[in-house]
Amino acid sequence: MNAVPERPKFLGAAVKRLEDPRYVAGQGRFIEDLAFPHTLYLRFVRSEMAHARINQIDRSVLQETYPDALLFTAEDVGDYGIRATADFPQAQVSVQPLLARGKVRFVGEAIAAVLTEDPYRSEDAAELVFVDYDPLPVLSDPQTALAADAPLMFDNWTRNVFVEQTRTGGDLAKARAEAAHVIRRSFRNQRQAGVPMECRGVIAQLSPAGDYLTVWSSTQMPHLLRTYISEELGWPEHRLRVVAPDVGGGFGVKGHVFAEEVLVARLAILTKRTVKWIEDRREHLLASIHARPHEHTLEAYVSAEGRLLGLKADITVDVGAYSVWPFTAGSDPGMVAKVLPGPYRIEGYEATFRAVATNKCPVGTYRGVGRPGAVFSLEVLMDEIARELSIDPFELRLRNVAREFPYKNVLGFTYDEGSYAQCVEKARELLAADIAESGKLKNGKKTGVGFSLFIEQTAHGTPDFTRRRSPIETGYESVCVEMQPDGRVLIQTGLQSHGQGYETTFAQLAADQLGIGLEDVVVRHGDTLGSPYTVGTWGSRGAVLGGGAVHKASGMIRKKLLAIAAQHLQASPDALELAERTARVIADPGRAIEIGKLARFAYRNVEQLPDGMEPGLMAHGFVDGPPDGSYSNAVHAAVVEIDMKTGEMRLRRFLVVEDCGTVINPMIVDGQVRGGVVQGIGSAICEHFVYSDDGQPLTTNFADYLMPTAPEIPPIEVHHFVTPSPVTPLGMKGLGEGGAIGPAAAVANAVANALGVSVRETPLTKHRIWQLINGVAEQPL
Amino acid sequence: MTAVMLTVNGRTQTVEVEDRRLLADVLRNDFGCYGVHFGCSHGACGCCTVHYDGVPRLSCLAFAAQCDGATITTIEGIGTDGARHALQQAFIDQHGLQCGFCTPGFIMALLPFVERAKEPTEDQIREAMSGNICRCTGYHGIVDAVRAAIRAHAQNGGAS
Repeated sequence: MNAVPERPKFLGAAVKRLEDPRYVAGQGRFIEDLAFPHTLYLRFVRSEMAHARINQIDRSVLQETYPDALLFTAEDVGDYGIRATADFPQAQVSVQPLLARGKVRFVGEAIAAVLTEDPYRSEDAAELVFVDYDPLPVLSDPQTALAADAPLMFDNWTRNVFVEQTRTGGDLAKARAEAAHVIRRSFRNQRQAGVPMECRGVIAQLSPAGDYLTVWSSTQMPHLLRTYISEELGWPEHRLRVVAPDVGGGFGVKGHVFAEEVLVARLAILTKRTVKWIEDRREHLLASIHARPHEHTLEAYVSAEGRLLGLKADITVDVGAYSVWPFTAGSDPGMVAKVLPGPYRIEGYEATFRAVATNKCPVGTYRGVGRPGAVFSLEVLMDEIARELSIDPFELRLRNVAREFPYKNVLGFTYDEGSYAQCVEKARELLAADIAESGKLKNGKKTGVGFSLFIEQTAHGTPDFTRRRSPIETGYESVCVEMQPDGRVLIQTGLQSHGQGYETTFAQLAADQLGIGLEDVVVRHGDTLGSPYTVGTWGSRGAVLGGGAVHKASGMIRKKLLAIAAQHLQASPDALELAERTARVIADPGRAIEIGKLARFAYRNVEQLPDGMEPGLMAHGFVDGPPDGSYSNAVHAAVVEIDMKTGEMRLRRFLVVEDCGTVINPMIVDGQVRGGVVQGIGSAICEHFVYSDDGQPLTTNFADYLMPTAPEIPPIEVHHFVTPSPVTPLGMKGLGEGGAIGPAAAVANAVANALGVSVRETPLTKHRIWQLINGVAEQPL
Repeated sequence: MTAVMLTVNGRTQTVEVEDRRLLADVLRNDFGCYGVHFGCSHGACGCCTVHYDGVPRLSCLAFAAQCDGATITTIEGIGTDGARHALQQAFIDQHGLQCGFCTPGFIMALLPFVERAKEPTEDQIREAMSGNICRCTGYHGIVDAVRAAIRAHAQNGGAS
């Protein structure tokens, strides 16, 4: 499966991205840029209360002032919603209605939709819809929500938990019995989100005859959106097209089907008009998707020599008001329970996880999904173990990592091939000078070095998704590759490239197979019309499985081209190669025929084809991942400098040593790693959605929700190992999320190293570091 | 409604605008400059940066009605087909963009810096882009792009 084409010209080459010229010229076309005549612009009336009954929605002032405005409430649009339930007996069901029905459960929840022919008028008109609420007690955090006397979020619930489960593996009792040390710590990460620079947006349009519906959305998963709308609204899928135009960042946030998307489609059907909704930044911060509010307690059973024998974990995630589709409310906590064992040879394991309902924005996927929290807790714990046992933290990892592959972990997951120990050793070598300086006071400042080691399951196949029993169900990716009569190639895929560079990497893979140039290939993505069914771009899977599908489908066309050429050159197909837009005899390159000519035969002069060969040069490639996926690995390391008087922290250095197997385009790999790292640094030092005790969001703009800007960030050094996977096409492993997984642990360990204190909570703001210096930090749970 | 005369990317036109319409909105919808992006609409992300009488400004913080007589350059007015500005080319060469949404704002904000700076330090380059947020690249490629563009600019004898 990992056969590399002979003499690949583009695989592994840092070619410039083919999509870039349009973006640097301002010629990208994003959802807001799409304009249609006779459009109705939608503005939402959103809840101002975190938890309340809706007594009345008063439309009288609106109707007097804007008689032309259309107002829709839950009653007007019908009983549709987002139903995202994991198929476990003990899971409790939540349905998020398209517009709030009777109750609101978080600030920002959509209550009504106002439509006019002018977006400014719609915004003004929506201000004139008055909602009368009857406040209910607010479940502001998991502790409040889990209290015995807490009001229940949904009818028929028994407690405010979407799902709670325990995963076990190996022999925990034995590990506990053999342990010389039991080390128990609690950890906490704050509520954050992916926050793409482009907000969400949806446009829906019915054909004049009313028989076709087209939905444009800034989404990462066009086919899944098509299926959801079809099933929920009962609209036939073959009369429904979903298009994701240029998408200005996703990071997992746009990897959901949202109530707004279904609603806009529904309103286009009801009004028979084009309906357009463009989210504003405040709405995005209030009511799209949040992530990562975790509380973990870990108990490690450690031998006298520093072997991590067993691990027990309790995982609580404050998942907000509704379960999200298709990954559900259990996704983040369940992922932690699944991945906590990490790269280590643990022999006994037990993790209980729960998804607690609160009156906040729903929690969904964000780059890494549960892993940033899992790696934070485990890797900070490893440093605490190292301190307690007086073992060097690098050495502690080296004593515990898996070194022989394939390695079956304590939960039964098989790790393919990796370079865990090598990455640790390389990082230690690169950091030697910083380690020598760490902890010393110099000019009122102390430096610290911290790192994290982690693995990431990527490119996972359908079995991994069926085991989750969530609505995602399946995990293959697909493409259609079509060589046109002029020898040029069109690749269509339902993956959506919003920064990943598929327009380039997929072209690289096809061009290698077909002996043509990058300029001979066009990749069209994000449109369900013309692309085979695909689950979309998420989960560090697009390049491996989508790229694998390009490799596979192009290989089929390659085979056909060689067969046609063989007949014309009177040579065996095995004696031919495709290169420089020709098919030629390897031993006698002068005997050649242009690929463009072969393609023309395939469509226009079919009498030139070998007997019995069908016309055309088109192939579909479907590639599913291996059952347990392929595991990328990395070490992230931070060098921090802390002003001991003010608590101000400067990141002096950040380095990554990573292994994602075979690389298609090293420039793009480094870019993905660096971008992820900086989001991870944001998690570590500043990003935080804050809510008041009554569920009011306090961080609703970019002055309050702080993301890293360039001056806070050092250059990100990236070093590579290349261990091709034996279980994926070309030996590739996924790497889109990895960058965001390790930084919080690395930065926390660096701060702990500088100050000589425990650091078990993020974000590490200047204020919190000052508290740590002065011994007045709030204790973690 | 107010009549506003704007010169946008060399084309002078008078448009009737409601007083409350943002400059960014008018540039997009009346002048077709869709490279002007709304990232936050409250002046914090830099996606809507344009040149207002030659100076980088946030077009989401200005009303078009305030801009009568102004000369505006948007990303569409930088470089030409087949002859990109050195900074645009450097963004491509140094992987200074991924999703491309913030890119026009970064280029407009950094153009005067690139054309003026001689040998800026890393800190100075990062400070020059501190009003813009990129969520994809981690800024690394953008910093490299600025450096490369300054080199190219110097080699061209300061012509852009």
